[in-house]
Amino acid sequence: MTTKKALSEKVKALFALKVEGIASQLEAPGVAMFCGSNRLMDVDEVSDISHELESLVASLLGSKDPTDLASVEMQALKGFFHNLSQKVLMRGGHVEDVVRYTQTVQFSVIEALEKASGVAFGQSRSVLLYFTSVFNELIMAVFGAYLDEREQTLQAQQAELRETSTPITEIWDGVLTLPIIGTLDSSRTMLVMESLLNRISKDHAKAVVMDLTGVKSIDSQVSHHLMQMVRAVQLMGADAIVTGIHPEIARALVSLNIDFNNITTRASMSDGLKEAFRRMGVTIGHI
Amino acid sequence: MSIPGLHLTQIGSGDFLLDPSRSLNIRDKDSLIDAVTAHLMQMRAVRLYYDLSDLGLIDPLYYSWLDALARAAHIINVEMICIRMQPTAAFALARFLDGLPVFKTALEIQDWQK
Repeated sequence: MTTKKALSEKVKALFALKVEGIASQLEAPGVAMFCGSNRLMDVDEVSDISHELESLVASLLGSKDPTDLASVEMQALKGFFHNLSQKVLMRGGHVEDVVRYTQTVQFSVIEALEKASGVAFGQSRSVLLYFTSVFNELIMAVFGAYLDEREQTLQAQQAELRETSTPITEIWDGVLTLPIIGTLDSSRTMLVMESLLNRISKDHAKAVVMDLTGVKSIDSQVSHHLMQMVRAVQLMGADAIVTGIHPEIARALVSLNIDFNNITTRASMSDGLKEAFRRMGVTIGHI
Repeated sequence: MSIPGLHLTQIGSGDFLLDPSRSLNIRDKDSLIDAVTAHLMQMRAVRLYYDLSDLGLIDPLYYSWLDALARAAHIINVEMICIRMQPTAAFALARFLDGLPVFKTALEIQDWQK
């Protein structure tokens, strides 16, 4: 069953309009927002995006159903604003710049179409309502890009934090230290394990001292990850020495039935290093 | 000595290096174990080094082959040491192992000998 939408005369006139030659009138908002003191774009670039915008608006108004906000033409227009937002954010601009641009360009489009057709679209409530619904969607696309960008930045920061919170250091020829601080979750264990095993292979490490002084609590999953890490180190042919286990963690490991029989443990990192040196036949003493 | 898919070479007094090739068919593990252990007994072997350098991943099937070979070697008083395990293989193996394997591991032959 199809529903026929009742369109006003001016909206019908708008959809029947052949849109061309309005790009130059769409440039003003772009120049004002992006070519000012922030220098996010040059005038030529603004001219290019205005031409692209003209073509996309023409496609939407000339489409089979311009009121369909899920149409391919509307998706293309949303993609344009999404990309524009990404571009501006990457160049150090603010999301407010793109939102203001989008709002201003809405009125510029109506004015340009009025000039091109001689029809007073700005006086028509239904035309204004139509453009408001379209541009609301476009503002959503702008915010979508902003949120994506924020999410990516957040993930990159988290990854960097993870890397810096588990520094693997070769403290002596063949002896690696790995102080673990914070919580060991699945994704972090994967990252730590991957870099640790690669370092063992690259440096031909014979012993790894894993210090848990910075781990304040442990649960079944974390202990399982810890065991996996120790086992992988042993499988590579290196000795794993676990140090700095807090009494609460020791109690938790016992209650979780974790088998520490094949794992060397020492109270502190210093004791762990002494054990690693002893196994390698290195003696360290006061001069 | 060459067994289908395996190269067994004496590298010292009582020490043997087992180097698997790409054509190794571990589904035929019984006959492979028979051939390897027979040769080790004949040569009075003490240690068997299994080279894993070409193996990027150890799955449960390959692990069961290594486990069976190590157990068979142990019965004839030969110690099996897997050498040059790749980080990716150790990573994969550690994820499904519950305890330490029957065989020993070392980065290189020299590391174990030391």
